[in-house]
Amino acid sequence: MIAAMLATQTLVTFADTSKTAKKSRLSDEQRIIHVLNRLGFGARPGDVERVKSIGLEQYINQQLSPEKIADTVAENKVKDLTVLEMSTAELYAKYPQPGQLLRQLQQRGMLAADSNNPPNPQDEKNRKVLEEYYQQNGLQRPQRIMAELQASRILRAVYSERQLQEVMVDFWTNHFNVFAGKGADRWLLPSYDRDTIRPNAMGKFSQLLLATAQSPAMLFYLDNFQSVSPDMNRGGGMRRLANEQQQPQRQRRGINENYARELMELHTLGVDGGYTQKDVQEVARCFTGWTIFQPRGGAAAVNAIMGSDAARRQAGTFFFNPRAHDDGEKTVLGHKIPAGGGFKDGQTTLDILARHPATAKFIATKLVRHFVSDTPPPALVDRAAAAFTKSDGDIRETLKAIFFSNEFNSPEAYRAKIKRPFELVVSAIRTVGADTNGGPGTHQWIARMGEPLYGFQTPNGYSDAAESWVNTGGLLERMNFGLALAGNRIQGTRVDLAAKLNAPEKSKLIDESLKMIVAGDISAATRETLLKQIDETNADTAAKVVGLILGTPEFQRQ
Amino acid sequence: MNRRFFIKSGSIALASVGLSLSTPLSAPGFLQRAVLANESKGGKRKTLVAIFQRGAVDGLNMIVPFGESNYYDLRPAIAIPKPNGSNAETAISLDGFFGLHPSMSALKPLWDSKRLAIVHASGSPDNTRSHFDAQDYMESATPGVKSTSDGWLNRYLQSKKEKEASPFRAISMTQQMPRAMQGRAQVLAMSNLSNFAIRAGKSSASVQGGFEAIYSRDKSEMLAETGRETFDAIKYLKEANPAQYKPENGAQYPQGQLGNSLLQIAQLIKAGVGLEIAFTDVGGWDTHVNQGNARGQLANLLQQFSSAIAAFHQDLGQRMDDVVVLTMSEFGRTVKENGNRGTDHGHANAMLVLGNSVRGGQVYGKWPGLKNDQLFEGRDLALTTDFRDVFGEVAARHLGASDLKSVFPGYSANASKFKGFLS
Repeated sequence: MIAAMLATQTLVTFADTSKTAKKSRLSDEQRIIHVLNRLGFGARPGDVERVKSIGLEQYINQQLSPEKIADTVAENKVKDLTVLEMSTAELYAKYPQPGQLLRQLQQRGMLAADSNNPPNPQDEKNRKVLEEYYQQNGLQRPQRIMAELQASRILRAVYSERQLQEVMVDFWTNHFNVFAGKGADRWLLPSYDRDTIRPNAMGKFSQLLLATAQSPAMLFYLDNFQSVSPDMNRGGGMRRLANEQQQPQRQRRGINENYARELMELHTLGVDGGYTQKDVQEVARCFTGWTIFQPRGGAAAVNAIMGSDAARRQAGTFFFNPRAHDDGEKTVLGHKIPAGGGFKDGQTTLDILARHPATAKFIATKLVRHFVSDTPPPALVDRAAAAFTKSDGDIRETLKAIFFSNEFNSPEAYRAKIKRPFELVVSAIRTVGADTNGGPGTHQWIARMGEPLYGFQTPNGYSDAAESWVNTGGLLERMNFGLALAGNRIQGTRVDLAAKLNAPEKSKLIDESLKMIVAGDISAATRETLLKQIDETNADTAAKVVGLILGTPEFQRQ
Repeated sequence: MNRRFFIKSGSIALASVGLSLSTPLSAPGFLQRAVLANESKGGKRKTLVAIFQRGAVDGLNMIVPFGESNYYDLRPAIAIPKPNGSNAETAISLDGFFGLHPSMSALKPLWDSKRLAIVHASGSPDNTRSHFDAQDYMESATPGVKSTSDGWLNRYLQSKKEKEASPFRAISMTQQMPRAMQGRAQVLAMSNLSNFAIRAGKSSASVQGGFEAIYSRDKSEMLAETGRETFDAIKYLKEANPAQYKPENGAQYPQGQLGNSLLQIAQLIKAGVGLEIAFTDVGGWDTHVNQGNARGQLANLLQQFSSAIAAFHQDLGQRMDDVVVLTMSEFGRTVKENGNRGTDHGHANAMLVLGNSVRGGQVYGKWPGLKNDQLFEGRDLALTTDFRDVFGEVAARHLGASDLKSVFPGYSANASKFKGFLS
């Protein structure tokens, strides 16, 4: 019935290739499981039935309009994560960097200065001063920011009804990767998630691209905040500003090409997208002056407490500095950008890139790889790219072209993708119906399997192909994770297996567990092995069975 | 190559880690292959141990150019005094111009026996002074190019594919996979060998049996092969019982993370599991404040650093014929001390190369001098050796890499630029 419904979609022509015609189609239930796995983080108990009653096509369309889905459970889960709502300036004020705070205290005479030394936060005496200052003023250590942001990602992925939205947040966060370990980025990332990625995850690509270009997190990560025209006028006020923009060490002044290069290679055109080194230089010129006001927060912590300095409200926000901008004429990918354009130069560049055919192809390829197969079928990539172009880069329309395609719904695509660690952890928590606080207990497992959130150093982001995730160390940690989850050995995460698997007899227990975790999609041989392995039935048996099934090859796939 | 020979080699390997074999041990498949791979080439397995000093070590106080008067002019508080045999707080002369920091005396015998070479004024030609960028460039071995997705050691592994390589072919003794080791080739990262096991409390053994059976069922399953390798490795490590390891030749590893890592690397080398690339790192070198001179912060770090390397060398004994230790750090530090008796981010640095096959007892590289007009950007030790020439020489002459182009993309690393510390 669902197949008939889907067949009415213009983009769907089922079983029209000889290859898929030979194979049987996915069953209705498999199609639901497939959609729950790919458009979301796997099924929770009862999800398959829920989708069945809504209707699969209807469910997919709902997921494509997340703004219309009520999401109170997830929002309640994250409501205590205060960093999510705070501005960057507030984060600087509440989660100051210890060394910076000590320097500020010393400058204001609140800390005795011994000789000329800048205070060392490791020093015993200073540690005590810091400890007290943090405590008395209700401040917290900066590590807390990333802990809460990671928790929010996990909680939303586990509990949100807007599953596709969370998948797309993960996808774009990775596409526009920013590393939390680089300088000020940990203070800038909550805003990146909230103001840059989330509002644009299902909208127009051009808007998402502009948002990332103006995001302090990206400006810092790819150094554009330091990129200034070589003939920038160094006036008095400017010098102070320029000093604050720079790293503490002496820095070359001038144009920094880093963002310009990655913008074309990784964000839009792709490495073979037809740009030249000259284009990189010209694009870099267009973005000179796109910078951050007080990128390291200035004296935010002390200012906030002393109640001074109005500027602190804007610390860590985007601003265009016309005096740092190279206002000459530029040529980007053959388009002339006339002199005197100022801020518009960057906007024009982004427009050229967002609408370039190479971008449509590059984004379509990445989406198809993510949602369908590690080896993206070229015909589907072409159709997705056409949908992208026709809709002026509408992400929703591009996704539709993929979800309602023959290739997406083919048996070849079913459970063909290896889950990445984040996907594995979230889907395991969902499938056994565990309750989690999304805390460090879960972050550590994701990191151990090789995908620490916001922990990828280079701008290309984590790989979306199985070969990067199938290795001895990673596989061992996957097995251990399943055992830890089922055995309630992950701090902050609890599962009540007894309540979910009410089966005193072992073959029944195994069958129920298999149904719950892999929807029964497991080889007879594996089931036989499980039966053989479980000889006793006691209080720990359910944890053992579930742990083993979470570690099977079948559950590593989606 | 017959089975009997293998069993023999296998037992030698196992015996060397202190195993008494009451029952004949069926050696895991990867170990058989490791032995086969070694023998087929007619030589022993070569191993590289790479140590990254994260945070930028002050190379000028590690390998002291005491023959430079400007060194003393620019570092009134933190310079290491000229060698004075009777005073243990002076530089240890190496060649009348350079000296070791006094807390590195553990390495002096290795210099004297010509097993330790130094490449001074070496490093990255990129002039970034950001730790993040400079480490990135050194580990990817593509200075100035940020988008390189893999590390140089991984590219080496890719360039010399081994059929069904041992899971222990490349190991990083670190919590996270370092940039230098990231990439398509399989690498294990672990901070502790004992953690490489199925962890399910009391039922660990039976759970492991369960997983093993599950993963051996379906041979068409792409994860099955990796699963089997994993269990081979687990079983092997369990037999080897890393917690029981006793260093040989009276070697005493210092307490701390680097000593621990090197001890475990030594153990794997002796176990003959096919280890080719080992990586580890050690931090704390970013001495902006109160760096100290013959004593103090940097002295303590160098003491730990050098005694860990010396213990490793001693522990491995004759096996150092096939092992090279290579140290690196992202950039050097300013020649002039700052207002806080520390040093700031600089440019060129010194690298150490150690092993029985190394032509040691020599400081390699052209010395650019420390006079004010000889300094890079007026403040730092100038660079005369690109770090890729050092990496390249180790890769080619020790590991036998034949495709340096793929290991160092965009750079022509070739014998004409090698320093000659390996023949």
